[in-house]
Formats: sequence, C-alpha cells, structure tokens
Amino acid sequence: MTRRAGFIAGFLAVLLASVGLAQTQTVPPYQQLAYPPLKQVKIPDPVSFMLKNGMRVLLLEDHELPLINGLALIRTGNLFDPPDKRGLSSVMADVLRSGGTSVKTGDQIDEELENIAASVESSMGESSASISFSGLKETSGTVLGIFKAVMTDPAFRQEKIDLTISQAHSGIDRRNDDPQGIAEREIASILYGRDNSYGWNIEHADLARIRRDDVQEFYHRYYFPRNIMLAIYGDFSTADMKDQLEKLFADWTPEQPPVPAFPPVTAKPAPGVFLAEKADVTQTFFSLGLLSGTLRDPDYPALEVAMDVLGSGFTSRLMSQIRTKMGLAYSIGAGWGAAYDHPGTFRIVGSTKSPSTADAILAARAELEKMRTAEVSEEELKTAKDAVLNSFVFFFDSPAKTLSRVLRYQYFGYPNDFLFEYQKKVAAVTRADVLRVMRQHVNPANLSIVAVGNPAEFGKPLTGIGKVEKIDLSIPPIPAAMAPVK
Amino acid sequence: MKFRALIFLLIPSLLAAQSVAELQKSFEKKVTEFTLANGLHFIVIERHEAPVVSFHTYVNVGSVDDPGGQTGLAHMFEHMAFKGTPTIGTTNWPAEKAAMDAVEQVYDRLDAERNKGPHADPKKIEAISNELAAAMEKADNYVEPNEYDRVVESNGGQDMNASTAEDSTNYFYSFPSNRIELWFLLESSRFLNPVFREFYKERDVVREERRMRTESSSQGKLIEALSATAFAAHPYHNEAIGWASDIEHFRRPDAERFYKQYYVPANITLGIAGDVSPMEARRLAEKYFGRLVARPLPSQYRTVEPLQEGEKTATIASPAQPFVIIAYKRPDRHSPDAAALAVLDAVLSDGRTGIIYKDMVRDKQIALGAGSAAEFPGGKYPSLFLFYVAPSSGHTSEENQKELDRIIQQVKTTKVDDATLQRVKTKLRAGLIRKLDSNAGLASELCSYYVNYGDWRKLFTELDEYNKVTADDVARVANTYLVKEHRTVAYTYVPDAGSQKEGAK
Repeated sequence: MTRRAGFIAGFLAVLLASVGLAQTQTVPPYQQLAYPPLKQVKIPDPVSFMLKNGMRVLLLEDHELPLINGLALIRTGNLFDPPDKRGLSSVMADVLRSGGTSVKTGDQIDEELENIAASVESSMGESSASISFSGLKETSGTVLGIFKAVMTDPAFRQEKIDLTISQAHSGIDRRNDDPQGIAEREIASILYGRDNSYGWNIEHADLARIRRDDVQEFYHRYYFPRNIMLAIYGDFSTADMKDQLEKLFADWTPEQPPVPAFPPVTAKPAPGVFLAEKADVTQTFFSLGLLSGTLRDPDYPALEVAMDVLGSGFTSRLMSQIRTKMGLAYSIGAGWGAAYDHPGTFRIVGSTKSPSTADAILAARAELEKMRTAEVSEEELKTAKDAVLNSFVFFFDSPAKTLSRVLRYQYFGYPNDFLFEYQKKVAAVTRADVLRVMRQHVNPANLSIVAVGNPAEFGKPLTGIGKVEKIDLSIPPIPAAMAPVK
Repeated sequence: MKFRALIFLLIPSLLAAQSVAELQKSFEKKVTEFTLANGLHFIVIERHEAPVVSFHTYVNVGSVDDPGGQTGLAHMFEHMAFKGTPTIGTTNWPAEKAAMDAVEQVYDRLDAERNKGPHADPKKIEAISNELAAAMEKADNYVEPNEYDRVVESNGGQDMNASTAEDSTNYFYSFPSNRIELWFLLESSRFLNPVFREFYKERDVVREERRMRTESSSQGKLIEALSATAFAAHPYHNEAIGWASDIEHFRRPDAERFYKQYYVPANITLGIAGDVSPMEARRLAEKYFGRLVARPLPSQYRTVEPLQEGEKTATIASPAQPFVIIAYKRPDRHSPDAAALAVLDAVLSDGRTGIIYKDMVRDKQIALGAGSAAEFPGGKYPSLFLFYVAPSSGHTSEENQKELDRIIQQVKTTKVDDATLQRVKTKLRAGLIRKLDSNAGLASELCSYYVNYGDWRKLFTELDEYNKVTADDVARVANTYLVKEHRTVAYTYVPDAGSQKEGAK
C-alpha cells in the first residue's frame, strides 16, 4: 500500500520537478560566492589573581544565563601512583567526592546538591586532577560552600573507599568486552611500556593493596592551595566573587613542598604486529601507532596540517581511499595526538570486516608511506590550512572555551598567545614542510600495529604485514594470599 | 524529610515555574519563524555573542519509514546526502550520469539472473558480476571524491555530521557567520538534486557500520534482539541500521524512490541559531530553498503494535560480562501520561539520588551501573520504558532483576515523598536553562519540538506539565504500564555456563 502510493507520488514529483526547475531563479556555483569579512571576535580577558593562601584564580563574567561554573586543576595525576598500588590516585579522586566531609556524608551532599540542581565533581587524569562545580546563580553560595568543603575537608569514609574499589574490580572484569577499548589500551601499553601509568593496566592485586591511609596520604601531598588553579565563569560580579573566594578559603592554608615534575616518557620502539584474539566480533579493530611529541615541538603546526591531509575529517586520504573508494571501513582516521607535557601517540585507528583485516591495514600503511615519499598536492595543502584558519573563530565562540584554554595554558606553562602563534605557523606551512616533518617524525620501521579480532576469519594472515606477536588478554586474578577488600 | 521540603521552599524564585514563563518570554524575542510557499519551515534563533552559526535540518522521516525488505534505507539515504549534486562532486556530470545508468542496467541483468533461483546459471552470474564491477569502476572515474565535505571543511565548517533514528533524520554543522550563504546553497542543493554516486561502495561502508555498532558489541546485539522481540508488528521492531541482508541488497533506485517520497519540503524543518539576521535568512531561504518543489506529505500510518499478552524473553549468548534490559510497553509521547512517565524515570534514575542508583549501585552494590530510560527507541509511536543493569562482579543478572522488580513494586505501592518530587522538578527546570547556551543544541531542540509537538514553545511549556505531576500520578503510571505481561526481558549469558541462562529467567 505504502509502496504503491510512494510510486505515484514519486512519478508526480518528477513531473513537477521538471516544471519547477524551469521557473526557479538561477543560483551561483559555490565557487562564485563572495564572503564578507568575518566580524571581529570579542575575546574576553579573564581576571587573574592569587588568593592569600596561594591558590591562583581566573575569573570571567558571562551574563547570558543565570549560571555559575568552576573548574579547579590540581597538579597531580595517575603518574604519581605507586607502582604496587596502581589506581590509587583515581580511587582518591572518586572518594574525595563520595566520601563526604567531616560534617556531611557524601550521600547527604548528593541530596543537597541535587535539590538545587547543582553539581560538584572530582576526577583524576594522567597529569592533572580536577574538581568542578556548576549551579544556578541564586544558589551559588551553597554550591561554592560544598565545593570548598569537598576540596579542603574530605573525610574519605571507609565504606565509600570499599564501594569505589569494588566497582573498579568489576570494571577490570569488563575491560575485554569492548574490542575498540582493547585496541586503544594495548597500543598505549606497547608504545609507552607497561612500567608507567601511560601504559600500564590496573590489576585486581593493585586495588587489593590500597588502604585508607594511602588515600589520605595521597590527598594531603597534592591538594594544597599553592598546587591548585581555580577558574570560575558565569553570572557574577568579579569584585564580589573575589571577596567571596578570599573569605571562603581564608581558613585553608596547608603547605607542602613543591610537587616534583612528572616522570619522563622513555621511547621504547616495539615494531611489529600485535594480535589480540576475540572470537565474538565480525570486525577487526586496529591501531597503527608511534610515540609522537608535544605541542611545543616547532614542527607541531606542520604535523597537524599533515594529519589533516592524511587522516582527519571526511576529506582525508585515509577516508577517501579506505572508506569511500574501497568501502572497507566506516570509521578510519589518524591523529598526531601531541600532548602538553609529554610525548603523545600518533595513531591510525579504524575497523574493518574480519576478512579484509590485512587489506585495510596494508592500505592504511601505504597511505602513511605516500605522505613520506611525495609532497601533498597544492589543493590538499590549501584545504587543510583553510580548514584550520577558517574554523579558528570556533576557539572563541564561548567565554567558557576561552577560560578553559587559558587555564590549561597556565597549568602547563604555555604562553597565553600560544594559539595565535599556532595560527600564524599553520598559515606559513608549505608542501615541502609537510614532506619534511613526515620524514623526520614518522619512521614506519618503528610502527606498532595492534589488531583485535577473530583470526579464524581473516582473509589473509597478518604475517604478510610483519612479525606477529599474540597479546595475552587474560586478567590476572587476585593472588590467593591477598584477601579482597570488602 | 519534611524539613528538606521546607528548605526547598526557600530556594529563590528563578526555579519557580513563573520564572520559566519569563525566560520563555525573553527567549521569544530571539526567535523568528517562517514557512516558504513550498512548505519548508524555518526557525531562526538570534544569538549574537560570537560570529558563528549552527544549522540543523530535521527531516520527519526515520527507520520506521523503511519499506518492507529494505530496513536501513532511511539511513542509507542519509549517507548519500553527502555525495553531492550534478555540479558538486563530479568531473563530468553527463558522462558520469551515463556511466551510473549503465551500472543499473548491468545490475538489472544480474538481478534477473539471480531471481531465477535454482535455475540461475552460476557462470552467467559470475560474468555479469565482473561486468558490474567494471561498470562501477567506470562511473567512479568521474567522481571528485568527497567534494561536498571538502567545501564545508575548507570553509571552516565544524562538527558536520548526520544521524538517522527511528523517528527522524538529522543533518547538522556550524559555520563562521560570514559563510551563511554557503550553507543555504549547499544544503538546498543536496535536497533539491541529490546524486547517488558511489552508491554501492557506500553500501559497503554502511554494512561496515553495522558490523562495528551492532555485530561486534554484545550490548549492540542485545538491544537489537530486544527491539525485535518487544515489537511484533510495529517497525520499531527493526534497528535504524537495518538487517545485514537488507543492506546488502539495496539498489540505487530504492534510495531514489525513498527520497522522492519522504524528502518533500513540508516534511523538512530547518533550524538556524547564532549570529544571523532573520531578514537575511528569509531572503536567502527564498532564493535557495525556494527552488524545492512542493509535494504531498507521505502517509504517517504505520502498523499499530497489538497488545502484548505475555512476558517475552530475548537472549544473546556472549563471552562478555552480563548485561540485562527489561522493557515495558508505554504509550507515545502525546499520551496524557507522558509527563508522569518522564517524572517517574527521573525519580528512578536521575543523578545520584535516583532510587535505582541508591539501592542497587550504592547500597546493595549488586550493580556496577543501572538505570532507566522513559522512551525507547522513539516517541512518535508507542514505545518502551526500559531498565538496564550491568551487574557487579560476583552478582548475577537474576539477583539484579529481582531487586529491580522489588523497586518497581515499591514505586507502585509507596508514594514518592515531596522532597524527591520537588527535586526532580527542579532538575528538569535547570536542565532547560542549561540547554540554552549552545547554538547547535538550540537549533536541534527547537526543530524537534516544532516537528513533534507543533510548536517549539513546548520546550518551555512542558515544564508546566511536569510541574503538575503528583505523587499519585507517578504511582498510577507505574501501576498502569510497568506490568509483567507487557514486558520483554533481554539479557546476555555466557554460553558454556548454561545455569546462568536459567538463572536469569
């Protein structure tokens, strides 16, 4: 019924369309459109100062909506986990919020915040920890009070430490359920090595060793005013907020020795193919990787342009070749992955049906090779540079973005004008630069390739790509001698 | 508890319903609507904070409209909408068109031979298949790859993508505000004159998408099994991605027919939010979108799901850790009970104060994660109110399911206290305010509310409906809809541990 009706409608439409076309005014081809110059962007300037207790603060007013949001960065991270208690910092960050304060339990704080539709959250990253808050303007006094109490007076109640650790155990048991997750995790382990938090897995035995004393000790070592930067934006007056913060944090004055530098990354190239077998998938998830660099690298802008040509967005070479022309993948891309403070990882990531595993990986590697053997075309270079330069305004389209960028730059010791310098350098990148940086920074002989899939259905063996080593996905149980924390 | 309710009363006025009305009033000034003669509707939202604009095209077509035997066709068309036009994406359109038509002629011969079934000649099939591959290669020679995407990206387009759901298909991206005219040109052209080039390569891409999203994920497989089991007759039975064999058999004319039937101007709503002048938007809309020709709206009738008369079960054998979904039949989003169901959902699982989180994750610790969703997989037609659980290590699906049943019994028989009800309503209101600071979010939300409720203002006025929901209403809808006979229980189990399968029943 529906199909027949559709046919008639379609037939009529063809008739009407031909009539309609004759009547319409002509429109220009897109190449002939002229664009007015873009309006000047108003880039707000956050107010920066230090509280009497040594905490640095950035404030930025934004009166569009009656909201106030904040983010504190604490100079610590998973990188400071003890090697026999991997995961300690993350447990600490979780229980900082859930474990309550000396006067309220975490459950009471949950209710109090949600009653006013507000939030306070704590989290741990590799090289920064954060505590954030969000609330409606009218309740900001309450929200700031809770935010301060969570940051300065955590109780780390044992029952919440137990809950977090028990959930982390369950998380470990589930870590091999998602094939893409396995590929991400294993390429990091291979590129960084398993003896540091960039590359290691947290195991059941680590969690079983974590005690409340460890959690408290970690907190006290890193959560002190001079080690924290706080950024707040929203609907407030800067002068009032300054006063409010000064009063709020006046009684919090602990001191600690300066936090040492994060441990450096040592490059340990591990070329070859690493296979994780997973029988219950119809696709192979793969990742080809190398250690990359930091954003400070003078070649970083040229590398970003190179990556745009190779693997970012729908117009990249990887997308055009492996998705559009070969039809071998839905998802395929590459990124340089530069980090602020340590070498990140360059990766080509994709997935393809099991029988075309080797074909897709070889095709991806061939595209990488091409980037090192010949200059990109003038058109490719222009598209890549235009994409960066014409979208530059989106870095400034909300005060929140500006503030969070300034906060990151200050946290990692980057100049405030870093982004503008980057823009200038991108504009100056040449085809020869792209070729040079690809040759200098990408050595395919060192490429590590991880494939997660079902080798019984691979069309061609992976040995055609390189020496194949199997990845052991088994999850080590808690040693019998160690009673699980419960 | 009473004490907490009192504290709530002291919370300032912004959270009161009256203030939401004021917020709506001030928002009204930023919104301009107009409809072109061909039926296309535009919603323009002015936000001049930064020189950027977000665009959203909401097409009132989804996988529920897929023809029989062609599940996933709405999604396939969405992919083709990025392939360009007779002037974008080709090096020589007349030659390309001829080559594309030649592909169809060879494909027709291939199908004709295959349709002979047991009488088909394998040698002929092989020969025509080779011919087909050669014909496709010839057509592909005229393609200017991904030109449509390249124009958008090189002009600073951000977050360009599209999505196909059960109820709708959405296309969206953002431009610097001096490029507004380019969006009008590109967006109108792709829906005026789409060219389905590289159709069969893209079909392979879509097939890979299904392998990635559904076939290689135990939760993906479970959700597919849930829908296929819960809906016997209504097209919510099928996932938006479609079944593998249907995807593999799409033909280009199928997608063209689908486009002509459903991509009619009156079925499309466009949202534009950001640094834009409504006058200029209207002028450009007339110039570019005025080219689309009015056509009759497609039928909205879809097979009505009959009453479910007993509990159903769906299982997926998988080595992955267990996952459980329990889904109850519920009415569509226009039901007078829709607001009460939304409040029930929030009471059960919003934030850290939801009943399910507190009971199963925090206190009893039998689940790593658990929650509910009021409307799955869509809301245009009667759908599902579902619960999901990822059991903690050492705890079974059965144990979790029993606890969920106990909680459901509790909300049916014990009235939700005032503090909880107020908290949920406050969060729903604050959630609205938090939605108002994103161009992309606004463009999308206003289109969606306009299409589904007839007026974008419903985004604000639905808060009044939430506000009217009483504790009795919450208990009543729980009793009406969370009924065992109308539910489907879907769970994964590890195949070589047969006892688990029994256990979860």
